[in-house]
Amino acid sequence: MLLIAVLLDATGLAGRAQAPSTPLIVFAASDLGPPFKLVVSEFERKTGTDVTLVLGSTGMLAQQIRNGAPADVFFAANESFIDALTAENLTLRQSTALYARGRISTVTLRSSALRINDLGDLADRRVRRIAIANPQHAPYGIAAKQALEAAGLWKTLEPRLVFGENVQQAVQFVRSGSAEAGIVARSVADTSDLYWTLIDERLHAPLSQTATVLARTKQPAASIAFIEFVNGLQGRVVMRQFGFVLPGESF
Amino acid sequence: MDLFPVWLSLRVALLATLVTVAAGVPFAWLLARRHFPGRDVVNVLLLSPLVLPPTVLGYYLLMVIGSRGTVGRFLAGWDIELAFTWRAAVLAAALGSFPLLIKTAQSGFESVDRRLEQAAETLGHSALSIFWTISVPLAWRAILAGTVLAFCRAFGDFGITLMVAGNIPGRTQTLPLAIYDHVQANQLDEANAMSLVSIGIVMFLMLALGRAARLRF
Repeated sequence: MLLIAVLLDATGLAGRAQAPSTPLIVFAASDLGPPFKLVVSEFERKTGTDVTLVLGSTGMLAQQIRNGAPADVFFAANESFIDALTAENLTLRQSTALYARGRISTVTLRSSALRINDLGDLADRRVRRIAIANPQHAPYGIAAKQALEAAGLWKTLEPRLVFGENVQQAVQFVRSGSAEAGIVARSVADTSDLYWTLIDERLHAPLSQTATVLARTKQPAASIAFIEFVNGLQGRVVMRQFGFVLPGESF
Repeated sequence: MDLFPVWLSLRVALLATLVTVAAGVPFAWLLARRHFPGRDVVNVLLLSPLVLPPTVLGYYLLMVIGSRGTVGRFLAGWDIELAFTWRAAVLAAALGSFPLLIKTAQSGFESVDRRLEQAAETLGHSALSIFWTISVPLAWRAILAGTVLAFCRAFGDFGITLMVAGNIPGRTQTLPLAIYDHVQANQLDEANAMSLVSIGIVMFLMLALGRAARLRF
């Protein structure tokens, strides 16, 4: 079976993958979905480099990178995942850079009667399900869990939690009405259909969002340029707009 | 609607079906006609992709073809990448559709009148010649039904593909993966359109081919 699949490759059925100029593949944590839509198209316009954006939970993306996924750049939601990849010699160490600190917020549907203004409100009986990202492999899920623990609510609310595969799916659970409330990244909560409230950042370990170029890249210059673009003037404007605290700023 | 996932899925399913048929039909015949030691074990092994969680299949396939796996490392020496390419999607889809083809073709071979094969044997035909000139022509309807089922299963594979091919737009994002992404991103119109395309293609194939060749699924 392997042989046949490999042979068929030679028959020119490879499609876009073999296009003359290979796009830069950027793996990014799901919380970056909304800002990166803007950042990527701006970067493409400015530099003429095509970018393929792949969103997922940081843990899942890191695991794919370990197993040979063709990513050039990785924007993690927390630095520990980058550190682990660096320890395995999978990154270009010098390229690693902090690009934001993430904030979490509670969310409910604006069209519902529920208004969650602090974590304690989640104990309301009308909140039957609370969506968070999976704390096993999603940094924003870990932060949500830490906040609930710090607020002394974990034991009470744990039976009501539902896990999204990543923060984007968690917010989708709220949006579709499957969960009455959620704790997600502020960057994905800030839309017109959602009511959101920031959670005190002292309730969870800092989400030091770190990016790196991967050792396997064949386009190191373009990869570094992309990280620098996110950390540059235009990138920072967009990231600030989505509520990220930027390097050099304090909470 | 981005049509790339549709084309990719059609192409992946087509290649996966070729792989499945080429490897599966001989196995189906063996299981239908030959008794050999360990036949039960082989039978269960071949059937297992149908009943095992896709995550189990995807995980082990990735452990084999990933950059740290034995096959992955071997192929890397030849500068060939398998994991997280469309080729991995073909393997994933083939793995999932294999049992459907085998089971359908096997029951087709089993319903071929044994005496015809035995008559050919007494006339000095080799097993290979009997397979090609008697068994396959008489079981073709079941083989075709299995092929259509295999194609439809390959077209719809999600779990195994997600784990070994990743979900890279414009490269390995097949139709089911694109639908998953659109739902997550709350782009429900796109998710809907793509879902309807999936349903349409599968229904058309099963109905049109089923009618034309009087297949029974």
